[in-house]
Amino acid sequence: MQVTQNVAELCALLIDELHGELPSRIFAVLLNRGRANLPQLCQYTGMNALQLRNGLAVLLQHNLLYYQVDGSHAIYEANAEFAYNLLRTGKILEMIEVSFGPPAKDVMQSLLVSGQTRVSDLLSAYQEKIDHINKINATTMPLDDDEDSPDVKTNGVNGNSHSTKKSDTLVKSTAQLNSIICRLVEAELIDVVHPKTFQSPQDIIKTVEKEVTDRYFPAGVKGGRGKIEFQEKMAEALRKVRSESKSLKRKLEQNGTAAKRRKLFAGVGASNGTSDGTNGVNGAPEEDLDPALDPKQVIRINYEKCLVDLRNRRLVQFVSETIGEMTSYVYGVLLRLLTKQLPRCRLDPTMDLNPDGEEVDAEHRPVTTDEILDNLRTAVDLSLGFGKPQVKEISSKAAEKITEQPPKAKLFIAEAEVEGDASADESDDGSSSEEPGYDSDFKDQPAPAANGSKVQFADGSDTHWKRMGRPGQLRQHLLLLAESSQHFVRHCGQDQWTVDFEPLMRALREAELDAVIERTSGRQGLRLVRILRANGKLDEKALMNVALMRKAEVQQKMVEMQRAGFVQVQEVPRDNKADVKKSFFLWFCDVDKSYIKLTDNSYKSMVRCLQVLEVLRQKEKDVLMLTRRTDVKGREKDVMRKEYFDRYSRFQENERKLLAQVMRLDDFVALLRDF
Amino acid sequence: MAGAEDPSKIQILKDALYEEARQHGSESRMFSQKGLTDFNIVPPGDPVLLLKVIQGLCDDKLFVGVTSPTGIAWRWRNREDAKKYTSLPNDETMMVYAIIDEAGADGIWNRTIKHKLNMHESVVKNCIKHLETKGYIASMKNVEHPNKKMYIKANLRPSDRATGGPWFTEGELDTAFIAELEDIVFEYIKTKSAYLGSQGGPRGDASTVRAPRGGVVRGSAPDGEAAARGVKRPATDISNDDTAAPVNGDAPAPAASASRSRGKVYLPLPAGYKSYPTVAEIAQLIHQTGVTNNTTLGEADIQQLVDGLYYDGLIEPIKVNNRRGYRVTRATKQDTVPFHKRQKERQAGIGIDRMGVEATGNGLTETPCGRCPVFDLCEEGGPVSPSNCVYFAQWLDMEDTMAKPTGPIAV
Repeated sequence: MQVTQNVAELCALLIDELHGELPSRIFAVLLNRGRANLPQLCQYTGMNALQLRNGLAVLLQHNLLYYQVDGSHAIYEANAEFAYNLLRTGKILEMIEVSFGPPAKDVMQSLLVSGQTRVSDLLSAYQEKIDHINKINATTMPLDDDEDSPDVKTNGVNGNSHSTKKSDTLVKSTAQLNSIICRLVEAELIDVVHPKTFQSPQDIIKTVEKEVTDRYFPAGVKGGRGKIEFQEKMAEALRKVRSESKSLKRKLEQNGTAAKRRKLFAGVGASNGTSDGTNGVNGAPEEDLDPALDPKQVIRINYEKCLVDLRNRRLVQFVSETIGEMTSYVYGVLLRLLTKQLPRCRLDPTMDLNPDGEEVDAEHRPVTTDEILDNLRTAVDLSLGFGKPQVKEISSKAAEKITEQPPKAKLFIAEAEVEGDASADESDDGSSSEEPGYDSDFKDQPAPAANGSKVQFADGSDTHWKRMGRPGQLRQHLLLLAESSQHFVRHCGQDQWTVDFEPLMRALREAELDAVIERTSGRQGLRLVRILRANGKLDEKALMNVALMRKAEVQQKMVEMQRAGFVQVQEVPRDNKADVKKSFFLWFCDVDKSYIKLTDNSYKSMVRCLQVLEVLRQKEKDVLMLTRRTDVKGREKDVMRKEYFDRYSRFQENERKLLAQVMRLDDFVALLRDF
Repeated sequence: MAGAEDPSKIQILKDALYEEARQHGSESRMFSQKGLTDFNIVPPGDPVLLLKVIQGLCDDKLFVGVTSPTGIAWRWRNREDAKKYTSLPNDETMMVYAIIDEAGADGIWNRTIKHKLNMHESVVKNCIKHLETKGYIASMKNVEHPNKKMYIKANLRPSDRATGGPWFTEGELDTAFIAELEDIVFEYIKTKSAYLGSQGGPRGDASTVRAPRGGVVRGSAPDGEAAARGVKRPATDISNDDTAAPVNGDAPAPAASASRSRGKVYLPLPAGYKSYPTVAEIAQLIHQTGVTNNTTLGEADIQQLVDGLYYDGLIEPIKVNNRRGYRVTRATKQDTVPFHKRQKERQAGIGIDRMGVEATGNGLTETPCGRCPVFDLCEEGGPVSPSNCVYFAQWLDMEDTMAKPTGPIAV
């Protein structure tokens, strides 16, 4: 993550918002001045050591700092990426709630509020709370009791009474808590803090490099072969460091995964095709099956994995926009199955790719139609969401085309194909291959409909689509995804499906860029940019001809978009004299540059939103002060004068609006930068 | 053999040769000496006589000498044109006319004439003036060089290159014409590449819509709503929708939103659909409906239109069994207002005046900052800053309380 001025401002504002001004100021100084030790910090900030220690402790607690002990001094460095991740708190919580249920969300929230926590601390905090609630069922108690009252306004939970009212029904026992943590660990959403967590990536690389040279190349790295070998050793060592945080997960897996344990103990009674999402409601008898966690382990949230899930949600949203809701639902299930084992969105070129640019130990197991079917809710009517033309209009040969290889990559996934072959015999009772007219007729007869009359969709065909049954209908959705121009899914073998994330995300980013361009420069602007993207560099005349636009319009639009950073211009002189009048001016568009510019603009916009929020807070200071009084809190409407309450509710509305906007900006940034 | 031929004999030979040449090819065909000899008008063994005859024809402007790859050759010219030449007062005018004639349908720039003939500007000007008053040539405009004064023979129509093809009217790009055609093409593709159904649409039955959205929630909300959600729609329900749909369509829906809310939507066609419209089909449609009046549009022209729509992001190419068709993007979001109705609305100045769906906004475009003209100047403490931002004040509907202290900034 490149730290620009806007990022620095944004991070400082976010920390200010969540953890108060002191850590925020220290963080800002660290970002602006680079790594520093305590005496230097004293000098930069003009604060005394005690104040600084307090602030640094908060920052460390939330993993916002890297440090390195050098002799007697610790040197601190800001971790901008994690500071930015604070922004995603709300989104992650919502996602957890949706896929793991409210109790899991509650646990995650505690973890987010208190930063990295020892398992025993978390347990005792919850134990205390459970006891408390058991004792006096009515009193309110703050949820975030193990942290010196951090302001948790961003994730919209500042109504403490509200959250505790809920919490007394959420986590009912420490055993349940244990089980929740186990499940989250297995999903890699929570991982373990280890000493190297606090080393900045550069430092880790450096130490690993040293270790590797000392151990394998005492005489130094020599020759091309040696270099490759060195790189491989480095990658291996780095992967090892990275996997340290997964130690808890590995330990859990030694006892078998949660799903397995459950099956073992609960027998065959597992409900139809629902995986680990079912818990939370009927979880009670199963909790005891999870092994107790080592109370000394320190756990934290794994943002990398959270991003994978957020990306899935984004993709589902994209599909629902381009194809339809039902298809997007199917896609969501597919993605969930496919990314269960996917640790992060983007591969690290130093660790995950070998020198030839190929993926190391990629275990991309495709998802089969059966698996998806097992995970769909039976209540969903899959026959909706796609058109039902006459059967003879469909060429099943084209639809069922199997693309074994990902686009332009050399990877071969032949083994996977053989492994899943057993599933090929499913589902075909009502679908394609038995229909004579449906299957073999792919003669390219010109459509008879060219005379402007509407295509006739005869009613008779409807029965065909109904007759194909759920597996067949599901296949239709999957084929639709595979046929889309964005290639949401690749049909990689008979009834096997996979997703090529990299090209897909590229397409998605481009679509988002297009949307921005259309919104800011109009459809004409979009047309011009897309022409450039498709044809490379063009001069004005060619552009005019392709776009069917007037010269003046083209010129105006191009200049406008150049200023916005969507297109660039290059001057090519005709001869040595480089006469401007005779030079060619070629327009082109550099997509990556546009992304960088847009990302930075988004940071700046987020900063502005937060600043405007601060301005509003200042303006409504007196009202806000009032609401903070303990006798007012929670029953603002009854206690406050109407005039004040109106101002308060208006402020709240604006706050919501601004914060929501920041979230949406983050959606955009995440897409451009992280997915 | 006699040196001086009988002039009347030569005249007869001239006429005969000219007619023969006319019978053997168009005005652009070039005849070599051998070719003319082979006509057997002039005795084959007498090249001198042939030369005389040809010379005579050239003098009458009925033959034009040209250099072909195999040597000198001649083209014939029709008598009317030749008369024009002979009626010209002097050689200069004749040369100017010849050059313009030669340029054909592309026309020629007056500076080029001057340059080629190496004549004084005033002479060229005079000649052109003379020719123009006689109505032999006309000035024209070339779209590629709109500022150059070009001339063309009066009885010719400027070539496509000069006029810019079917998209130009009198040297100007006819954007209205293009827009209208794009509209028709888009509508055609839309209706042909998506299935007009009434199920599972975004505005359709709530039960089918909600389900995917909260798709992964499992039994977490065991209340009545979830139960309602979980109910599978019976098949009769669907078929009811289908039969009801046309009735809805016929009913006068006042606006786009109304007809959408009836639950009629476009649905994507299943994979492998073979009849996505192709450019050839679209061209045929345009031809048959005759919307273009007397402009004829070739497939290449239609391809240009279709490409334009593709670049707009409204349609996308789709290849099924080597048949390259086009289909609409984001089918489910397209409005289902019939074309004629929309046309009517547009003429009345209401309704949507754009094809397809607008791009969905995102965080950046919807924040005031995303469209702020002074975004680059904005900083805390500067002339434009978050604390005095008028755009945010508008956006938050807070004009009364914000941005007061410093007053509205001039932007």
